[in-house]
Amino acid sequence: MHRAVDQPEPNPLREGLTTRPVPQPCAIVIFGATGDLTHRKLIPALYNLAADGELPAGVAIVGFARRNKSDDEFRRDLEEVTRKFSRQPVRDEIWKTFAQSISYHQSEFDDESGYKSLAKRLDEIDKNYGTRGNRLFYFAAAPDQFEPILKHLKAAGLNETCEGSWARIIVEKPFGTDLASARELNRIIRNSFTEEQTYRIDHFLGKETAQNILVLRFANAIFSPLWNTHYVDHVQITAAETLGVGTRAGFYERAGALRDMVQNHLLQLLCLVAMEPPTDLAADSIRDEKVKVVRSLRRWSRNEIAANVVRGQYTAGAIHGEPVVGYRQEQNVNPDSQTETFVALRLFIDNWRWADVPVYMRVGKRLPKSETDISIHFKKAPAVLFNKDLSDLNVLVIRIQPDEGISLRIHAKVPGTSFRIEPVKMDFHYGTSFGKPSPEAYERLLLDAMSGDATLFARSDEVEEAWAFIDPIEEAWHANDAPELFFYPAGSWGPEAADNLLARDGRAWRRL
Amino acid sequence: MPTVPETYSLGIPAEISRIDQELKKLWQEGEGAMTRASLMNLAVYSEESGSLNSNTQLMAKITENHACRAIVIEADCRAKENSVDAWISAHCHVSRVGSKQVCSEQISFLLKGGCTALLPNIVFSHLDSDLPFYLWWQEEFREPMDPQLWAWVDRVIYDSHGWKDFRAQMRLVESAEQEAKQRIVFCDLNWTRLDNVRFALAQFFDHSASHHHFTKFRKLRIDFAPGFRSTAVLLAGWLAAQLNWRAENAKSPQELRFIDPSGRKIDIELRERDGEPIHEVALTTAEVEFLVTHAECGDLLEVSRAKPGEKPMPQLMPAGKNDPVSLMSEELMRGGPHHVYLRAVKCVRDLL
Repeated sequence: MHRAVDQPEPNPLREGLTTRPVPQPCAIVIFGATGDLTHRKLIPALYNLAADGELPAGVAIVGFARRNKSDDEFRRDLEEVTRKFSRQPVRDEIWKTFAQSISYHQSEFDDESGYKSLAKRLDEIDKNYGTRGNRLFYFAAAPDQFEPILKHLKAAGLNETCEGSWARIIVEKPFGTDLASARELNRIIRNSFTEEQTYRIDHFLGKETAQNILVLRFANAIFSPLWNTHYVDHVQITAAETLGVGTRAGFYERAGALRDMVQNHLLQLLCLVAMEPPTDLAADSIRDEKVKVVRSLRRWSRNEIAANVVRGQYTAGAIHGEPVVGYRQEQNVNPDSQTETFVALRLFIDNWRWADVPVYMRVGKRLPKSETDISIHFKKAPAVLFNKDLSDLNVLVIRIQPDEGISLRIHAKVPGTSFRIEPVKMDFHYGTSFGKPSPEAYERLLLDAMSGDATLFARSDEVEEAWAFIDPIEEAWHANDAPELFFYPAGSWGPEAADNLLARDGRAWRRL
Repeated sequence: MPTVPETYSLGIPAEISRIDQELKKLWQEGEGAMTRASLMNLAVYSEESGSLNSNTQLMAKITENHACRAIVIEADCRAKENSVDAWISAHCHVSRVGSKQVCSEQISFLLKGGCTALLPNIVFSHLDSDLPFYLWWQEEFREPMDPQLWAWVDRVIYDSHGWKDFRAQMRLVESAEQEAKQRIVFCDLNWTRLDNVRFALAQFFDHSASHHHFTKFRKLRIDFAPGFRSTAVLLAGWLAAQLNWRAENAKSPQELRFIDPSGRKIDIELRERDGEPIHEVALTTAEVEFLVTHAECGDLLEVSRAKPGEKPMPQLMPAGKNDPVSLMSEELMRGGPHHVYLRAVKCVRDLL
């Protein structure tokens, strides 16, 4: 959205051809190159960028991992997974050219010599590919490997660049497991790379509809006067999925829904909905406003946590008519696990705009349908005119996934001689109105990192503030007098306690 | 869910005064889950006999990616009878979400004789309100340009590739803009044809370290297909406009010359050969050749730079297609003003 300090002078031949910052030729080094993320997301995303002509000509991809592989073996593996996971079919001729830019670098993450040889390899790549010293290091490895990787990158001088070139790192979530570990991770990163060089990825922010929240709010004057405590009754954010824990039990047992989804994705969405207008679209202008939202979240005492946060875990049930096991019966899950697979929260943003407007969030696995959306529920119109209490509020829904779009519920008179009023829905679907499919979130985010645009990446203070909000909840859940863990059958909308959270306020979850 | 098969037909005949009611009926009687979608009014005007059917087929394809109210007009100015016939139809396809049929409605008009003068009147009364109005003009422009019509157009789309007298046509377009009460965006499909080649050339110079080449170019060679000289000249005009070159008198229609701000001469060779409209472009300095050429498979461009001692790293990029549906889709996707186009035209107006 803006030209970064380290981005070169504009290319006059690009004028009118693109409205986004231009990605720079660079070497992309992927740590954890044989892992799931690389296979499912990163390489398919890079391939799609190449197929769409968005990838700069001088891009070289270096896979860095422990396993022994030749360049050809690595390329063959990647071709196979790209054919499986790419959003567009793989074309042989494009893959052939794309694959030429891929190489494999075998090394242990804590082997100093592996980084020295990497540095030499990158110098060679600079000469052969015209990458000009630009390096993008993607941390797709497990978080416990970040420290040795960062330390050795610094020791090999790979965190430094000559004038006119850049080195950046992209860090995947989880970014810490609590405030202390996030601070420690930030400290470790700062030892090797500056904040400006650090891109903390949250793929929710790369989704088309997440980006559209800013457009909806700030490019449409009609919403601006309504977007506050005077007109908004409450806000709901739901991230529901039908899937169970699947193969992620090892990670999920330690994380749970609160850390896995709320600390990052859902709070990021809340920030976009609740933030003040930024002074401009520069990355830090937007992130300054987002962090203020998290900072304004009301902190609770331990008793208040029990009253405002509900945690649940799914038991055996059915999804789409098919029986599924309960969480504790899933593979690699402790049979006595206390890990939450569902969280519902009642939040307040204690600032001028949102005073006393509750925000209800829920996230869960094994719910009846997969859907992520945000709904703004407006206050009731006075009932004096129509001799009727209009119990259905006007609702603006922003659908993040899967059927991206926006809908607005308004009241209308039912045709006829009587004066019957019913709610009707005006619906906008991205898929219906725009034929062109949206790029995958990783495509957009990788391009942004190559362009030096950090707008859609989380800054260290955002991450830390989010943990500062989450930590007391986790602490309460792990105390001796921990609030109850509620159980819900797979295929239901979570425990009854989650419904009660709203019922107490005279409200109900939106029907999805 | 029953689907509505695409028949490419003009649909149901309708009285002009009842078109809105007939459209409403069309949606009420449609079977299955159908969603009407519209982002713009897209009118296409042609005087070619049979164009109603051929343009209906084009619209059916265009609406797959660009939901709109399509207005297809065929005018027979020489007809002795004065008449207006109209039809309504819908182009439906399953949305990419896959759950519903998305439909764009089409109104078709056949204007004959004196009724061709009713064009603005007929178009205005059938626009989908509050949506932008794009007019795809498939004819040459001629005087008098109807100021009433142009005042309502947001974007006028034409293809200068077929113009016999570029300068005269451009003058008409520009005078229409001056007369119009609002700013029209000019969209020349001949310029759209160059989009992918321009992308491919531009990406060589994304790093500022490569900008020094801008002052070292000596030669530009453009290979173009028969009939696409104007496309090649527009490409040269684009480079000239963006790099501040000015045209010198052309040695011949195939040999142009530009002068850069430092007085350096850049020779342009235009070579006609069979192939794609712009088949190959070579931009050279004393040391480096930047080459963009169509790959054998046709829909990809191969881009490479050749320098002594440097390993060539060819890359493939999308080439785009030269058919009207692809060009229109590309143009409608882009949006935005076309200042760069107008600057390019200014640089080479006398050479076209």
